[in-house]
Amino acid sequence: MTVVAAAAAGLLVLSGCAPTASGGGEGRYGFTEAEQVPDSEITVWVDASREPAVTAFQEAYPDIPVKLETYDGNAGGSGSFQSKITLMDQAGEGWPDVVFSTQQNDAIWASKQTLNGEQGFAAPLNKGFLDQDFLDGFAPGSLDYATIDGTVYGLRNDLAQTVFFYNQTLLDQFGYEVPTTWEEYGALGDKLAAEHPGYILGSMGDSFMTYVYYGGSESPVFQSPETAVFHSDTSDANAEGISKIIDGMLANGTLVQDSFFSAEFAAKYADKLVGVPGPVWYTGAIFQGGLATPAGQIGVAPPLSWEGGDVAAGNVGGGQWYASSHSKNLDAVKTFLEFVTSADEFQVEASSGYPAYTPAAEKWLDKQAEAAYFVNDDFKTVMSDAAAQVWDGWNVTSWSPETAWAKVVIPGIAAGETVESLLPAWQEELENEATVNGYTVK
Amino acid sequence: MTVTAPPAPVDAVPTGRRRPGRRRASRVNAGQSRYGYIFVSGYTLLLLAFGLLPTLYAIYLAFTRNGAFVGVDNFVRVFNDYRFLPAVAHVALYIVYWLVSLIVLVVILAIVVHAIRVRWLGNTARFLFYIPGAIAGASSVLLWLFVLDPTVSPVSALLKGMGYESLVNVVAVDNLPVVFTVIAFWAGAGGWIVIMYGALNNISADIMEAARIDGANAIQTAWHIQLPMLTKWISYMGIMSLAAGTQLFVEPKILAQATKNVVPEDYSLNQLAYLYAFRQGDFSGSAAISLILLVVALGLSAVFIFRGKLFERD
Amino acid sequence: MTIILLVFAAFFILPIIWLLLAPTKTNTQLLLDGPFSFGSFDQLVANWNELFAFGSGVFSTWIGNSALYSFAALAITLVVSIPAGYALALIEFKGRRLLLVTTLIVMLIPNTALVLPIFLELSAARLIGNPLAVILPFSFFPFGVYLTYIYFSTAVSRDLLNAARIDGAGELRVFAQVAMPLATPVIALVGFFSFVANWNNYFLPFLVVGGDKIPVQVGLANLLSNVPAFNPTTASSIVIQLPTLALATLLSVAPILLIFLFAQRFLVEGMTAGGTKE
Repeated sequence: MTVVAAAAAGLLVLSGCAPTASGGGEGRYGFTEAEQVPDSEITVWVDASREPAVTAFQEAYPDIPVKLETYDGNAGGSGSFQSKITLMDQAGEGWPDVVFSTQQNDAIWASKQTLNGEQGFAAPLNKGFLDQDFLDGFAPGSLDYATIDGTVYGLRNDLAQTVFFYNQTLLDQFGYEVPTTWEEYGALGDKLAAEHPGYILGSMGDSFMTYVYYGGSESPVFQSPETAVFHSDTSDANAEGISKIIDGMLANGTLVQDSFFSAEFAAKYADKLVGVPGPVWYTGAIFQGGLATPAGQIGVAPPLSWEGGDVAAGNVGGGQWYASSHSKNLDAVKTFLEFVTSADEFQVEASSGYPAYTPAAEKWLDKQAEAAYFVNDDFKTVMSDAAAQVWDGWNVTSWSPETAWAKVVIPGIAAGETVESLLPAWQEELENEATVNGYTVK
Repeated sequence: MTVTAPPAPVDAVPTGRRRPGRRRASRVNAGQSRYGYIFVSGYTLLLLAFGLLPTLYAIYLAFTRNGAFVGVDNFVRVFNDYRFLPAVAHVALYIVYWLVSLIVLVVILAIVVHAIRVRWLGNTARFLFYIPGAIAGASSVLLWLFVLDPTVSPVSALLKGMGYESLVNVVAVDNLPVVFTVIAFWAGAGGWIVIMYGALNNISADIMEAARIDGANAIQTAWHIQLPMLTKWISYMGIMSLAAGTQLFVEPKILAQATKNVVPEDYSLNQLAYLYAFRQGDFSGSAAISLILLVVALGLSAVFIFRGKLFERD
Repeated sequence: MTIILLVFAAFFILPIIWLLLAPTKTNTQLLLDGPFSFGSFDQLVANWNELFAFGSGVFSTWIGNSALYSFAALAITLVVSIPAGYALALIEFKGRRLLLVTTLIVMLIPNTALVLPIFLELSAARLIGNPLAVILPFSFFPFGVYLTYIYFSTAVSRDLLNAARIDGAGELRVFAQVAMPLATPVIALVGFFSFVANWNNYFLPFLVVGGDKIPVQVGLANLLSNVPAFNPTTASSIVIQLPTLALATLLSVAPILLIFLFAQRFLVEGMTAGGTKE
């Protein structure tokens, strides 16, 4: 044993990664800074969709060396962000300087100390690192998901409130009205299936549909009323109601099961999508992107509500940018973060969604108006109103609501079961996940 | 966990063998002995560092929490995790499929290949069976991802004929034991076929000839003569594969990634141990699970060595 | 019987043929053309360029890491296993039997069983992220010691060694000048098994190294996140198309596949040695 211990000690010396002395003091930005190396390269992790942000940055700041690494963006709550950082924490080196995540909940773990008792990965942003003036430029409430006990850990990339998109050309052709309620949406599905089979009103193929349909219908499925408490009730009338509507539309074929982003979806349904509830980032990501729908066809209506109920929007991601507390070039990180969240080159020109940074959002809306992309002139109001109508009964927790949906509901409906019949199993999975993550189920 | 190259146990003999040197043992001189230690020192160091020490450390972690002894608390916590029993069930079901198909098919294929009279044909067949063993780990899973996705699969007609329209249908949780069996069989069976083939070569031509003269047909010969000669190899293969099967990790891990968690990330026990360490930051729980798996593997291995006959000279 | 043989030959070989052909196609050809059609060499070059341009050539880095880990481990494995197997077979020393039985037991444990404990140990030793965290565990290869032990106990007689000793050769010289020249076959065999096992290993490096230190097996899985078919995202210039992923898969196993092809006779003999020799 002593031999081995000696060997291990020897290796330790060889490897040169002796345990880091735990940091003293808070530093000027509210965390212990690594020793700064001016002009050193910064490593940025993004998903493929955010690659244009890095490209735009490299064009604007050719002097700042940036190393781009793509990963899955934590999509679907895959947890890859956390797993990879855990490995870096173990290694005590190799952290990226900036990370983009499609999920809203990463601040919960990234703000915590690591197992080795070192500081969490995410750098506090509002303790002097970024200017308060800049942070104030974000839409009210948009930084809440990444704010823990008053400390902001992540910058919102874009707002992700749901609205109802419709194809005016198809509606005119078929003589239909834009639905305003979930009931009308379901009824439109019945009519469309009977009169124009092959046309569709959406897809259930992606796990973020849980936000669109259940968040958007005010179903109390994913709630954390207080810290470390979880509540889910899939037997609530709203959850039951929306599930019945989804089941009807899956049965009559107006909801399909191909992922919105798959090549097949674009090929099969580019000119078949009559209307769809979805986040504002569908504008760039789906209509202008994958489906390549030309300007002058798509309209934007307020989010669907229940008959006689209040208008409520769901929130579908929006993405967060995090800075590493271990970065050796915080100046570059600061420049980068400010650029990707606020500069026109990305947020207005190249980003698919509705910027969270208000001045950029205005320009983005202007750009859509100039291109006359949407058929309705009031689309700006519709979108900005919906931003304020995001239902507060859907919360973030340390795990993603998408995994339970992916595990239980997607394979279930693929096997021909109804969503309604899957509700108890879905709730059980959610509650089990809550328990494992240290939440009390109430 | 795919078996690339199953260690071929040669008929030798650490236990109970009459060593040629024993009668001279008394004359072993200290100088020789010292060089013995020098020669094994590097390996022994590695054995301690990556065999014994990790095991001891896992035991320590599994029975403590934050440095304090907690008895079996960690095990209780892991057992009560709602993911634990399903993971055990998943792995167990997979092992059943995998062992049955492996034993039945490998034996049949070895006998069939052995019966080929044309030399080059037999060699080619063995080579064809063996070559997928080169593609293991993540690479084989990736290759099978293509084969199992009806949109690109070379056998998409077959998949669609079975009613599978998309990857999500094919890798539905109930299908996974079969899917993993197919992948593991593809990559691992060839090596075993080659080993069984070698064992069949051991059966003396006289016995085979005698059977033929007695009027035994090929199936009778296989059943009454070849199969009994293969039993120790079959039990060796069974135990090795059983131990390997409990370790299921890379297949569900990559399928989970490819299907955005429709294949759950907590499908197998090793995945669960991984999640404990990397997602929940619970090294004690992780150690408890891996210790359970390690004990199973060690138990199988030890039983085989001390009770089995394979490593002793006939 | 012929049918059984043909069906299984097809089962084992068709996926490999498909894998050899897929990188010569465009994405559309892959989806629409016959599965066993050939695309074009131009397309193969295009896919090749796409793969090596990805992430400023990170694929080459992964292959390089795999080579570093596998070869370094191979070297250490040979340096420690061959003398150890030799000593276990031909030298008497106290504890020899214990070491032999331990080796056998550990050899029969699937190597994955020790991965998490090793990770936990390396984590406590603060070695995570260091190339040694892969190389050293890779170097621990009890099967290699066992193979060498078997080889020396059957192929080299003690009398030969004793004769050299009587001639006044020291133990080191006996090992280096008498035993080693006879050991070429077993060195090749141990080297082969060690290299194949380490090159294809996913679990251990997945846990103990990250970032630009990952080997190609782990990198391959990372590539998946950039394949729209499995991880749909919007159009972006860095996506990897399916034929390129197939090419990456093929390249990731190319060294092993080549060894298998060129050493097939040797290997099959090596693997059946136990069964046939008596």
